[in-house]
Amino acid sequence: MMVLTNTLCVLPKQLRLGNILRFISTCSKKLNDGSYMATERPPLPIMTSRKIEFPNPYIAPKQAWLENLDTVNSEKLGIVDLHPDIFGVAPRIDMLHRNVKWQQLYKYINYDWEPTRAEVRGGGRKMWPQKKTGRHRAGSNRAPQWRGGGKAMAERGPYSKYYMLSEADRINGLCIALSVKYAQNDLHIVDSLEIPTDESEYLEELIDTRYWGFSALFVDDTDIMPENIALAASDIGQFNLMPVYGLNVYSILKHNTLVLTLAAVDKIEKKLLERLHSPFLHSSKKGKRPS
Amino acid sequence: MASKVPEKALNLIRNYPRVALNGLKPIENDYRYKSKPRRSRMKATQSGRGNKGQGQRMTLPRIGFEGGNTPFYLRIPKEPYYRGHHLRREYPPFSLLQLQRMIDLNRVNIDEPIDLNSIVNTNIIKINPGDQEFGINLTDEGADIFQSKVCIEVQWASEATIAAIERNGGMITTRYYNTECLEAICDTLGFFARGIPIPRCPLPPRDAFEYYTNPDSRGYLADPELVKKSRFKLAQKYGYEPPNYDTENDSELFKMKDPRQIFFGLNPGWIVSMKDKAIIKPKDPDYVEYYES
Repeated sequence: MMVLTNTLCVLPKQLRLGNILRFISTCSKKLNDGSYMATERPPLPIMTSRKIEFPNPYIAPKQAWLENLDTVNSEKLGIVDLHPDIFGVAPRIDMLHRNVKWQQLYKYINYDWEPTRAEVRGGGRKMWPQKKTGRHRAGSNRAPQWRGGGKAMAERGPYSKYYMLSEADRINGLCIALSVKYAQNDLHIVDSLEIPTDESEYLEELIDTRYWGFSALFVDDTDIMPENIALAASDIGQFNLMPVYGLNVYSILKHNTLVLTLAAVDKIEKKLLERLHSPFLHSSKKGKRPS
Repeated sequence: MASKVPEKALNLIRNYPRVALNGLKPIENDYRYKSKPRRSRMKATQSGRGNKGQGQRMTLPRIGFEGGNTPFYLRIPKEPYYRGHHLRREYPPFSLLQLQRMIDLNRVNIDEPIDLNSIVNTNIIKINPGDQEFGINLTDEGADIFQSKVCIEVQWASEATIAAIERNGGMITTRYYNTECLEAICDTLGFFARGIPIPRCPLPPRDAFEYYTNPDSRGYLADPELVKKSRFKLAQKYGYEPPNYDTENDSELFKMKDPRQIFFGLNPGWIVSMKDKAIIKPKDPDYVEYYES
C-alpha cells in the first residue's frame, strides 16, 4: 500500500481496494504478432499486506498471491492475507458431502408414480364364490398379487424432497470448501476480471498456461461482469462466472479452480465472519435472527 | 491455544487428489436409522416381552441364580491350575519313535547335526510360534528301539530320552529360542524374503533359566565339565558305556551352535537375499558389536 499512497490522494475516498486496483489496470493492447502487451501499472509489488477484519489472535493469517488476468502469464502483483477462520478450517469431507447432498435434494422432485389397486381399471367383480370352489379366496383381480393388479406401497409422486440444512452447516460448508481449495492450490486471487479481449481462445490459453485445470469458476463481488470475460466465457461451458451471493459449495467443488477477485474476497470474508460471530447462528429455535 | 489439527489436516490434503464432487462421503453411520424399541408385529402392545411378570417389569433375578439353591458358580470350587495357561510355554511332543522313523525313511540326515530347523523342514512336525509353542519336547516313547547315533538339539528332553540318545553314542542338547527366532526357523524362506537381519537369540527367561543351565538336562548354557560328569553318572545309572565325542571322524557331527546363533553357518545380523543369492554382512562396528555373542 505504500506505493499507492500518491494515487490514493487523487482518488475519491469511497473507492474500495478492488476498485482501486481496477482503476489502475487499464486495458492492455493487442500487438500485431497476436500477443498482448502487458498493462502499464506501477512497479510491483502493489500489495504486500491486507488488513483483516476480526483477526484470530491465535492463528496466523493465510497468505496468497495476488495475480492478474490481463496477461496470459501470471504476474504476481503482491501478496494478500486471508482470514484463517475462513480459508484455514479443518477439511471435513463429510460436511462438504452434507452440503452437496442438500443442494441436490432440496430442489429435487420425485415424479415416480404407480397406480394402486383402486386406480387400476377393472377389478370390481368377485372372481368366484367365496366357498365350495376349492380355489383361493379372491375378491378382485386387481389385488397386488395378481398379474395386472395394482401396486402395493406405490410411489405416490410428485413429491418434494425439500429440506433446509442448518445455517451453521451451510456456513461451515462454505468455509471448508474455500479452505480445501486454498490448501490444494486451486484458489487464485486476482485484482479484477478484466481481460484485454473477448475471444474465448485467450481465456483458454490463459488457463492452459497457468495449469488451472479443465474448469474454472470466476467470482466477483457484483453481478455485472466485465464485458470481455463475459463474452469469452460464454462460449465455453466449463468456465463460469458468478457473483458472491451465488457462491455455493456444489459449484466450488464442481470446478477445478476457483478464481476470486480481491473485492469478492472482501465481501466473502465480511459476510461469513458476520454469520460466524452471530449469536443466532447455532440457536435458530430460540431467537429469530434480524433480517 | 489454537488447535493444530486443522493445520495438520490441511497439510495432509495438500498433495492428495483434488477434493471434488466425486470424492465426498458422509461420516460413518451419519444417515443410519435410529434403533427402535422392540415392537410386536402389528403394533406396540407387549413389545415381545410376554404377558405380565418379571420379564415385562424387568425384575428378573441375577444371572446364575437358581431359585434359592446354592448356585453352580458358588457350589463348585475354583480350579486355579490353569491360571496363566495362555502365557505358558508349550513344547509339542515329538517321540524317539518318530525320530527313528524319520531317520529310517531318510527324512533327516544323521551325518549332520539335527536341530529344530531340520526337523521342521521335513514338514512332518509343525511348530506354531504364534500359539506359544517354543519348540519340541523329545519324549522317550520308543527309547528301547532307538538305535541311531545322532547329534540332536531339542527344546525339552527327559532323562530317559537323554539316556537313549547317549546310549547309542549320540549327543543331545536342550536349547531355548524365543518367538522371534522360532518364526525365522519355522518359516526360513519367508523370513529371508522379509529382508531383515537374522535375529540374535536372547538368553532364556527367568523361569526357564534353571533348566537350560542344568547339566542334567544337557542345557546349552551348562558348564561343559559338569555336563561331562552328568553323562558319566547317567551311563552308570542306566548301565551303558558313556559316549566318547573325541574321535576324529566325528568332529563334523558333534559341532555346536553359538548361544546367540540360530542357523548353522549363518551368524546373527546377516541378511540373506534369496533373490540375489547373496549374504549381506554388517560392517558398522556398532552393529558388529551388537550382534556379537
